[in-house]
Amino acid sequence: MSDNPNLYVYGITEQTDIELTVDGVGDGSTLRTVEYRSLAALVTDIDTTDPDRSDEAVAAHDSVLQSVIERDEVETVVPMGFGMAFKNARTLKGVMRGARRALRKALNDVEGCVELGIKLVDPADGGTDPDELRERLESDLDPLSAGQTDDDLFSDRLVANRSYLVEQDKRDAFDDAIDAIDSDYEDVLVKYTGPWAPYNFVDIRIGAEASH
Amino acid sequence: MLLVDDLLLKPFVSMLDILHAMVLEEIHDVSAIRDNIKENQLLYELGERARPEYEQRKLELETRLEVAEQVHEKLIGGNIEVQ
Repeated sequence: MSDNPNLYVYGITEQTDIELTVDGVGDGSTLRTVEYRSLAALVTDIDTTDPDRSDEAVAAHDSVLQSVIERDEVETVVPMGFGMAFKNARTLKGVMRGARRALRKALNDVEGCVELGIKLVDPADGGTDPDELRERLESDLDPLSAGQTDDDLFSDRLVANRSYLVEQDKRDAFDDAIDAIDSDYEDVLVKYTGPWAPYNFVDIRIGAEASH
Repeated sequence: MLLVDDLLLKPFVSMLDILHAMVLEEIHDVSAIRDNIKENQLLYELGERARPEYEQRKLELETRLEVAEQVHEKLIGGNIEVQ
C-alpha cells in the first residue's frame, strides 16, 4: 500500500467507532470510518481509484459488509455498489456532503433491517406447482418483512427468487417460516441466504465521477 | 421487424450480412450464458452438481462468455464480415 492510499467505500452507516480487521478489496485490511456529520463511510485503504471487478474482489466487498452487519452495535448499513473508491478523505467527505439527503433517506428506509434471500428450485424431474409455491411465500413471508423484490429467474428450474427486507427482531420468526416451507415441500431445493446489506432496497452510487 | 428495420436503416448492407449477424447474436447470447453460469453455481451450492462437473461446466461457460462478449463487441462495431 502506498504512503497516500485512496479509500475504498463499502457502505454508509451511522456508527462511528468501527475498526475491524478484514480481508477487503485490494488487500485493504483495516476497516474504519470516515465521518461527515452524522454519516460514517465504511472504508479500507486501497492503491487505486479504479479497482478491478474480479469475482474475488466482489466477494471481498460483500464479505466486509456482512462482517459489519453481523455486529450487534451496527444497526443499519446502506451498501454501496462495487467499485466506489476515492482519492482521499476530503474528496469522500465532499461527495457525502452532496449526497447527504439521499443517504439519510436510504438509512431511514432500511433502518434496523437486513436483507434475506430465498431461492426455490424445482427438483430435476419437476413436479412442483410454481404458483402454489409462490403463493405460499407471499402468504407466509410477506407479512414478516418490510419489503420484497422478485429477482431474476435465471434458470428454468428456479421457481422463485426473492429478496426480503426484514427487521432484525423478526429474523427468528422469518427463519421459522422458511423452515416450515422447507419441510412442507421436501422435494423442492431451498437456498436461504443472508443476512446481507440491503442491496435490493437502496439504489445509491455516490460520486462515481468524482472518484478519479 | 428487426430485419426490416435493419434493411431500412442500412440499405447497403446485404441481407446475408444481417442474417449472419442475427445468427451470431443467437449463438453467442451473452445474457443466456451469464444465466447458465448462475444456474451452474446455484446447483453446485445446493449439492445437486458435484465439484468436478461444476468446475468443468464453469470453465466451459466462462470461455463461451469471453468469446460471446468479443463477438458482441465486434457486432456493435460492425467489424464482423461474412467470409
